[in-house]
Amino acid sequence: MSLSNLIKNWSTLRVKRPYEDQYKDKDYKWAMVIDLDACTGCNACTTACYAENNLPVVGKEAFSKGQAMHWIRIERYWGEGDELPKFPDRGAQFLPMLCQQCESAPCEVVCPVGATHHTPDGLNSQVYNRCIGSRYCSANCPYKVRYFNWWQYPERAWPNPLEQQLNPDVTVRSKGVMEKCTFCVQRLVEAKNRARTEGRRVEDGEVTTACAQACPTSAITFGNLADNKSQVAKMWARQQVDLAKDKQEKSDENMRGYRIFEDLRTYPSIVYMERIRDLQA
Amino acid sequence: MSKAHTLALFNDFEAAGRALQELKASNLPGFRMEDVLIKSPIEHPELSEMLGSRPVYVQLYTMAGAVLGSTIGFTLIASAQANFLQQIRGGRPIVPIPPDMVLTYELFILIGVLMTVVGCFIAWKLPGNRSPLYNTRISEDKIGILVKADPLVIPKVNGIFERHQPLEIMGEQGR
Amino acid sequence: MIQATDEKDIEIERRFVPKAKDINDEIAWAQINKDVLRSMERPRLMYWVIFLASLALFGFGVYCEIYQYQNGMGAADLNNPQVWGWYIATFIFWIGMSHSGTLLSAILHIMHADWRKPIYRFAEAMTTFSLMTAGLFVLVHLGRVWEFYYVVAYPNERWAWPNFNSPLVWDATAIGTYLTSSIVFLYFGMIPDLAICRDNAKGVRKKFYWLLSLGWQGTDRQWANFRVAYLTVACFLIPLAVSVHSIVATDFAVSQQPGWHITSFPPYFVAGALYSGCAAIITLFIVLRYVFRFEEYMTMPILDKTCRLTFAIAMVWTYLNLVEYASVWYGDDPVAKQTLLFRATGDYATYWWAMNFLGSVVPFALAFKSLRNNIPVMLVVSLLLNLGMWLERFMIVTPTFAHGYYPWTWTDHWMPNWVQYGIVAGSFGWFSMLFMLFCKIFPTVSMYEVKEMVYHRFVARKARA
Repeated sequence: MSLSNLIKNWSTLRVKRPYEDQYKDKDYKWAMVIDLDACTGCNACTTACYAENNLPVVGKEAFSKGQAMHWIRIERYWGEGDELPKFPDRGAQFLPMLCQQCESAPCEVVCPVGATHHTPDGLNSQVYNRCIGSRYCSANCPYKVRYFNWWQYPERAWPNPLEQQLNPDVTVRSKGVMEKCTFCVQRLVEAKNRARTEGRRVEDGEVTTACAQACPTSAITFGNLADNKSQVAKMWARQQVDLAKDKQEKSDENMRGYRIFEDLRTYPSIVYMERIRDLQA
Repeated sequence: MSKAHTLALFNDFEAAGRALQELKASNLPGFRMEDVLIKSPIEHPELSEMLGSRPVYVQLYTMAGAVLGSTIGFTLIASAQANFLQQIRGGRPIVPIPPDMVLTYELFILIGVLMTVVGCFIAWKLPGNRSPLYNTRISEDKIGILVKADPLVIPKVNGIFERHQPLEIMGEQGR
Repeated sequence: MIQATDEKDIEIERRFVPKAKDINDEIAWAQINKDVLRSMERPRLMYWVIFLASLALFGFGVYCEIYQYQNGMGAADLNNPQVWGWYIATFIFWIGMSHSGTLLSAILHIMHADWRKPIYRFAEAMTTFSLMTAGLFVLVHLGRVWEFYYVVAYPNERWAWPNFNSPLVWDATAIGTYLTSSIVFLYFGMIPDLAICRDNAKGVRKKFYWLLSLGWQGTDRQWANFRVAYLTVACFLIPLAVSVHSIVATDFAVSQQPGWHITSFPPYFVAGALYSGCAAIITLFIVLRYVFRFEEYMTMPILDKTCRLTFAIAMVWTYLNLVEYASVWYGDDPVAKQTLLFRATGDYATYWWAMNFLGSVVPFALAFKSLRNNIPVMLVVSLLLNLGMWLERFMIVTPTFAHGYYPWTWTDHWMPNWVQYGIVAGSFGWFSMLFMLFCKIFPTVSMYEVKEMVYHRFVARKARA
């Protein structure tokens, strides 16, 4: 059976992704835009993520060792470009970093057991039950956005009765498992199921991630890239970012949209919009 | 026809060689060169050549193992990737050729090695093939010649052995 | 007249083709049996010292592993960018060490280098046991070791297969193949010697060797098949050994990280593997020679040849090491270049320079005959070379994590804690414990091949006379 399948479908099995218009006829391709100019570094997204996705608060000691579990983190950078002032007079600039849901993800290739792979709606999924904790995915992730359960966190993070506040839709992960941002896949699945029952596609704005929902300045926009009318698709188009290209050709050099480490050919699903700063002020 | 065995121990390869030469020339009835076995602590190709050609078929097993290992290996891996739980990983094709080549290569070697050893065991007719008459001094430094022949010829064979200063001649009753 | 020219030939050969006599060829075959079998009975006191010390080390390693198993990988003080730590570095070290056994037993066998005969058996055993140790590190390293079998492609009703794209699966396959083949090779080559043990043992031991020797009687048919099969397996083992360490190198070369994504990694790793393996052979040579009183068989000319081989491989490694740096430098990828600079000048600069010194400068000690023939010096040098090779692996793994692509995750001077030290030390205990047990139970010097060696020299001498 497998052999005939192999021979019959050989050409489809040999397709390389991403290719142009890969999601044109598909229903969903989840993507995001983060406007760095709007980000104030308030960390509301991180907090929302902790609440939504049952992230353990690891405590001071583990945090200082670098064992924190923040799926989305706010990075602070002092100064612009080459300039690195000792006393930043205009404060830091912030960059919310989360899993880029790469179309050609380095982590997926190297996982020995296939615990991480690509879903049809363009997510980089992580199967906790399958993960054996080789941590190769994290080693190969250029963004270092994968977080490993170094300890048996559930016992420490939610002492009785705190476990009552856990989100019932999300698994609590045990020690020795890799995890990362899922684009709040539990919300996406629910919305997709509801829409399918009603015989339609998920509409724009019907579902969003916890971080986008919590952002007070609406710096994060989440949506369906396969839907041309969605906010995200319009922003991607306006910024002339093409999902399947590793080098974007832009008509205007001042266009703000970019993807991080595009030249590594990971094809991320998140477009960042560069911060505008008046350097003379 | 029942056969009997006799084993002569010699001190060195020269004496054993001379004994073999004479056995070969003797043309005794009920005795064939194919029934002669040399037992020695190290390999001595010149001596075994006197026994006539005794082909070795181990390479055929190796060949079979190498071919089987590579073809079955590749087919199994590729069809495992193509089963109904197809997973797209990192934008690579579902059946990627370079990784499969690496794994095929390893399986080619693994099955090749195992089949070689199995082939050798088959050639030794193992387990359970213990040829009769053995002397522990053979594993030390002596050379033994084992002859299987008609019980009537055994004394004559022993006679030939006697002429080349054997250390010891062991015999058994014909069954 | 003819007699005279012969003598003249011999004289010329003696003067211009100086051949160190590897072992005393007057030695009687029965004496060989006696000496080697004696080693399996009463070794020097040092044997028990080494054995008990390694047992203790291993015990401590087991304790650390249990602690880590119960608490999670955090117990080993790993963190987000530093996800691998010393486990993977030591894993590569042990894999590398296994390669020289194959070099001695397979490559030199095919090339008919006689001098390998007294020492290849323990080198091959070293291959097997260091592979076992390396395999242990894969398990120690896993976050959920109780699910390790997910890596193996076994048929299951959920149709869940391992990811065949992953270099870790290649690793598992390659190491599995290599371990199987080298155990087969080690055992197969030992069958004639096991028959010798069978013929001389008593009691339970006799039963044991009787089973293992598979009824070997040294008949001409057995020898003929044995020779062909042994040679074939040796031919398979050479490309296998090269492929195994190349595949381990792809763990790094296939990834995208700076300092890892380097085309020359596979040959570089293979050279490093042979290098550390040869150094380990020198160490074990000296230990076994003393412990089992093998002065007759593990002779100075053989040590000399091993040292010269090690020196040659050390130079190959040095070259490939420089090629790695040069290609990163001229490749002009800013990130890779910065990682290289970080290694040479950053937090780990001490280790990096120590590695280059130990790996490229210290081997020059092997170039001097007086040093080569000094056993204590060679013991120290060989241990230093292996320290250098271990540092090399440490320098491959850790600085890339500490200074990778993403500046926000750069870490300060990361070093492991006592759990990792304990497990790494325990692995050395595990290896030497197994190795010492092997030497006590099985003949460490290949008796039948030493006999061949003596016999061929005897024949050659007689033909000349």
